[in-house]
Amino acid sequence: MPESAWGWLIITYLFLAGAGAGAFISAVACDLLAPDWSRSLARAGSLAAGPLVAIGTACLVLDLEAGLWEPWRQIYLVGNLRSMIAWGVIILSVFIPIAFIYAAALNEITFVGRIAKKYLLHLEIVGSVLAVATAGYTGVLIAVINGVPFWNTSLMPVLFMASAMSTGLAVAMIGAAIIDIRTIKTLSNFALGHVIFLAVEGLVLGLLIFISLTRSAEAAASAQTLISGNLSPYFWSLVVVVGILIPFVLSIVEYYEYGEMPKYLVVGADLLVLVGGMSLRALIIYSGQPPQIV
Amino acid sequence: MPRYGIAIDTTKCIGCHACRVACQNQNDLPVHEEFNRIVERERGVFPSFSKEFVPLQCNHCKDAPCERVCPTGATYTSDEGVVLVNTKTCVGCKYCIEACPYKMRTMDHGKGIVVKCRMCIELVREGGTPACVSTCPTQVRIFGDLDDPTSEISRFIAEHRAQPLRADLNTGPRIYYKRS
Repeated sequence: MPESAWGWLIITYLFLAGAGAGAFISAVACDLLAPDWSRSLARAGSLAAGPLVAIGTACLVLDLEAGLWEPWRQIYLVGNLRSMIAWGVIILSVFIPIAFIYAAALNEITFVGRIAKKYLLHLEIVGSVLAVATAGYTGVLIAVINGVPFWNTSLMPVLFMASAMSTGLAVAMIGAAIIDIRTIKTLSNFALGHVIFLAVEGLVLGLLIFISLTRSAEAAASAQTLISGNLSPYFWSLVVVVGILIPFVLSIVEYYEYGEMPKYLVVGADLLVLVGGMSLRALIIYSGQPPQIV
Repeated sequence: MPRYGIAIDTTKCIGCHACRVACQNQNDLPVHEEFNRIVERERGVFPSFSKEFVPLQCNHCKDAPCERVCPTGATYTSDEGVVLVNTKTCVGCKYCIEACPYKMRTMDHGKGIVVKCRMCIELVREGGTPACVSTCPTQVRIFGDLDDPTSEISRFIAEHRAQPLRADLNTGPRIYYKRS
């Protein structure tokens, strides 16, 4: 059976685009809802969003072959609007500049930032729509592929969206801790966000597995490789325990302890969320199987 | 315009792989690359069992998933109903390889583009037949116009009720199989 045509570059892209979009939404939410006490989190999120999505997009371009050696071929990438990649190219090429301008505006970097600051709310509204589009699109990209029945479900964008939110919030929280470690107390307020996003992610992942087991023979085979097959050690350890359960419990503790939790546990929980998010993408790509045709 | 297709009689296939080699010759493919392949299947249980050889190639689907997902529009269907790749605009994103349910597309890493069965369209346009069809020593494949009810292929399909593989995937394949 042929292996998946996509490998680590695409997986990294799916992860970084999701995390970057999530970090952008986290930054906007902090700036709009609690501008006074979540300043460092908003700053960290906005500073991370653009570079993460840009690096992810670079991975996407590196995965091209003829389009990489003969870059002018990339102008054809919007040639067929029935293709999700064409939409992805459009969304990314608008979102990346907006994310960078937003970071400049929120952190007042150079004259660009000072000018853009006047339009901060506009940037937040347009940027949030594009961030949701970016995170959702990474899921739709594989959800429209009927060549891989396991991916071919509308739960996929929902799962990727939930994972993008939790990984994005994790990026923003780690960034906030780097910018100003004293905000670690404040961060415990955002642990509630992790609790919600991780709960949704776990629920949707459970639904995806359950439904796949009965949907078709091929989807069931993919789900089986995850829960009991050769990918199951990675699935249970990296995605379920490390990526969802441990950070979920830590976030609940963090929320109720209100800043009394050791610093390394707060940041550690966020790092685990990132490990889980990356592993989730990798395992979904590698567990995909084509229909049984003969 | 004709609408070309191929009918495959697996009961005649002896698994000699001549079609694969002829195809590789015709398309200058290296040994490890192939546009068609033969899958071997065992049917039944001892003592009443048999082996079936199923030659596979691009199905030239009417509603081709590879064409739908191709961002550059490099994958297109010719007037004759043959799914082709424009070598000038393909960027090598491999989305079509993922999208093809029959997994019949392959990557030419030398040129950096996706390549596939072209139903030997250059031979066909000169009045010939695809290399896999003309090479087959047991005449497993029948090439012809699906829109012409008097063509050999149309009569074969009607007579044997030949079916595409996994017609339930709704891609409208143009390769038909008689398997028993």
